[in-house]
Amino acid sequence: MNTSIIRRVLGWLLALEGAFMLLPFVVGLLYREDTAWYFLGVGAFSIVLGLALAYKKAASSVFYMREGCIATALGWIELSFFGCLPFYLSGEIPRFTDAMFETVSGFTTTGASILSDVESLSRCMLFWRSFTHWLGGMGVLVFLLAVIQLPGGSHMNLMKAESPGPSVGKLRPKVRQTARILYIIYFVMTVIEVVLLLGGGMELFDALTTSFGTAGTGGFGIKNDSMAGYSPYLQWVVTIFMALFGVNFSFYYLLLLRRVRDAFSMEEVLTYFIIILAAIGILMWDLRGDGLALADTLRNAAFQVSSIITTTGFATTDFNSWPQTSRTVLVILMFIGACAGSTGGGIKVSRIIVMFRTMIKELGSYIHPKSIRKIEMDGKVIEHEVLRGINVFFVTYMLIFSLSVLAVSIDGLDMVTNFTAVAATFNNIGPGLELVGPSGNFSVFSPVSKWVLMFDMLAGRLEVFPMLLLFYPPCWKNLLRHRAAVARGVH
Amino acid sequence: MEHKFTHPKKGLNIVIVGCGKVGLSLVDKLSKENHDITIIDRDAGKVQDITNLFDVNGIVGNGANFSTLQEAGIYDTDILIAVTNSDELNLLCCIVAKRVTDCAVIARVRTPEYSQDAAYLKSKLGLAMIINPDLESALEISRILCLPSAVGVTPFARGLAEMIRFRIPEGNRLDDRRLRELGQELAGAVLICAVERGGEVYIPDGSFRLQAGDVVSFIAPTRGSKQFLRRIGLETHQVRDALIIGGSKTGYYLAKQLLRVGVNVELIESDRQHCEELSTQLPKAVILNGDGTDADLLREAGIEHVGAVVPLTGIDEENIMLTLHTQAVSRAKVVTKINRIMFPEAIDRLNLGSVVYPKALVTDAIVAYVRSRTASKGSSNIETLLHLFDNRVEAIEFIASEGSPVVGRPLRELPTRDHLLVACISHKGSILIPGGDDAIQPGDSVIIVTTHTGLSDLSDILA
Repeated sequence: MNTSIIRRVLGWLLALEGAFMLLPFVVGLLYREDTAWYFLGVGAFSIVLGLALAYKKAASSVFYMREGCIATALGWIELSFFGCLPFYLSGEIPRFTDAMFETVSGFTTTGASILSDVESLSRCMLFWRSFTHWLGGMGVLVFLLAVIQLPGGSHMNLMKAESPGPSVGKLRPKVRQTARILYIIYFVMTVIEVVLLLGGGMELFDALTTSFGTAGTGGFGIKNDSMAGYSPYLQWVVTIFMALFGVNFSFYYLLLLRRVRDAFSMEEVLTYFIIILAAIGILMWDLRGDGLALADTLRNAAFQVSSIITTTGFATTDFNSWPQTSRTVLVILMFIGACAGSTGGGIKVSRIIVMFRTMIKELGSYIHPKSIRKIEMDGKVIEHEVLRGINVFFVTYMLIFSLSVLAVSIDGLDMVTNFTAVAATFNNIGPGLELVGPSGNFSVFSPVSKWVLMFDMLAGRLEVFPMLLLFYPPCWKNLLRHRAAVARGVH
Repeated sequence: MEHKFTHPKKGLNIVIVGCGKVGLSLVDKLSKENHDITIIDRDAGKVQDITNLFDVNGIVGNGANFSTLQEAGIYDTDILIAVTNSDELNLLCCIVAKRVTDCAVIARVRTPEYSQDAAYLKSKLGLAMIINPDLESALEISRILCLPSAVGVTPFARGLAEMIRFRIPEGNRLDDRRLRELGQELAGAVLICAVERGGEVYIPDGSFRLQAGDVVSFIAPTRGSKQFLRRIGLETHQVRDALIIGGSKTGYYLAKQLLRVGVNVELIESDRQHCEELSTQLPKAVILNGDGTDADLLREAGIEHVGAVVPLTGIDEENIMLTLHTQAVSRAKVVTKINRIMFPEAIDRLNLGSVVYPKALVTDAIVAYVRSRTASKGSSNIETLLHLFDNRVEAIEFIASEGSPVVGRPLRELPTRDHLLVACISHKGSILIPGGDDAIQPGDSVIIVTTHTGLSDLSDILA
């Protein structure tokens, strides 16, 4: 394994995070908050340490799959660790596990919080908390690829490890151009949302943090009641933008290229919107007796559906108290998740489509055992390797899910809480049901369970395998052997 | 001086159809020169492998299919290179692409039937280039057989000058001599431009001391090179007879070329029917039907006395074994063609002598074309590009144009970069090994030898 290139990437990542910490520092200065200085301190330290790590050139700049995965997994842990230091050092989140939980939740765009009183945090801390969503949404490594010319050939393996979806396509021939286009689309859409929110009378600080939460499909609110206190117009803006950020970004790229017909024939995007509309329909029917005006019911249903399927996790109402059918629909949406290639989490609509078609194909093979049929999507045959990847992903996903529920159950909380807590973290949503519902929070869990949930968040964001690789002994043996070989002077 | 050294960093959009040997080596070379590359191949696995290793876009599909080309962004494409293993598909790709947009198209065409019509195809189908690796390697091999003491021979300036590589034998007059001591009596109009010793490559100056075992590259007018080799005591007569093992396309082209220059050719081919075809196509050659890896048959064919042996079976390992066998039983000159395997360190150790890599030949030709397209329009043009010594040295032939900043000034006044040599100037058909007082005139072809890779314009030689 090429450890030196991993070290360099980790160095660049850290320096980049340090540089981004200067933003909350400025915010803190503007609001005259003393805690701002923690960001300057940690930021400067990260920049220095990061550049020191990245300083020495790597012996070889070849990046294989394993280097890509390990660098990504370690990178995200590194980001979370240094990102949590301002919370912890300033004492605003006094326990380390809690600070780490909050930061992991931020970067993985989960939005699950251990804070019972969000409003007590200082402004710069709130800003950083939401900003981690924005960074984590499109991916920090993707940002790195967009700004820094890493040496060597292809860094597709880095991008693959971080980007959600069963197969990652490039928009342009070069990784760097692709990363740039993604970030430009992301940035422009965020700015549009900020402007629309400002137009609806929201304060600039609220508009920024809300947009960060929406764009990354994160879900950290800066109010204790999440989005419930905002006007219907603002809630609609957030609803629509949540849904838009859950769309595969290739869709927007095709629109930019004016290939409108191609864009609107993307099966995944169409299915995604059909699911959203169907879910809203069921909720409207189920909530018909809630005593609210039809417009309010529609707004609540649309907001919650959009928030859950995109794995954002904002809430405008306590859906924990909704009827059972509505709650169940929301839990199912948690698993479906957003489109591949978006900022959302979950299993992803495209995987669901492929798995559904695999099932249909299997049924067909009972009728005509010798028939040969390939599974297609967007008019293209899905290769066997991709299919296998999707199936293995699903199996692994279910396995980790079950084991996590089991691990968390030791705390002795009720089944629905445990189940939805894992579902909400593993799928990067945020709030679940019962104790971890929109009005509750994750502080009910023991520290051990919190670490399990943190693992789930990272595993969910990085699509399971990069994180699992860290726990795969041959991976480390390989590394140690390489170290020993270098020490002996053999390459 | 506003025309400072500026690397033309705006890459071209290049589509490569077919990810075989040549496709892969093109991706390797061109992606290092900062072009935006899209590859198309039917085999998803190959596309996957290449996109994992190189920063290029991969599309699975048939390159002659219009919608596939569209997906590859054919409307913005500058150059399309079709190098699948089917000539027909390559030509069809080019035709389809050419109908849609005004990009330059390059096709690999190997079949002799089509290759004969290369000029016609080029003009009628609007191809920028037709490349034929089999023909190119046959020509390269025949050049070496015409000068058997050389390791490699590359013509420049439309054949007026050539670059020759040879290994200094033990006890040669050049052993332990400084370059400046060679003087007029030995060197004459010859410029030694690169020396490889023990894995290192040097661009030597006057104080450089040669040693036996060095691989020396020199440039000379075509006639001067033989005289030089003769003066230092090396064989310069072309071989009298050659034994070709394997009647592949390269074998056919080589036999044809050798017969043309008056070499007697014996050709061994295992397939009886193919032998019969060859015997009608090459009436002057002796065609033997049999297994070329059979030592008895080879002895019968006269391997011990023949002037040259060229193993051209389709299998690299067989070719290498045949070369080693020939070296053991005969003093014949051997040229080894290696298609596929890339273990340069191991092959270096085997000391095979002259080795020809067809894919390197065609890749160099295409890279030369791409570079001259990259350079700002109208300033200069690349005629020939040659990668030497494991790609560490490039020899490039430019055509100097009017208005280039290097034109009309004595060379000693030009601030050229280090590790760069203006090796040769061809002025109106006469070859000049330039000194400090000579100047480049518009229209001259100028040969540059350098360890800086990626020069695309003559003005790039300035520091």
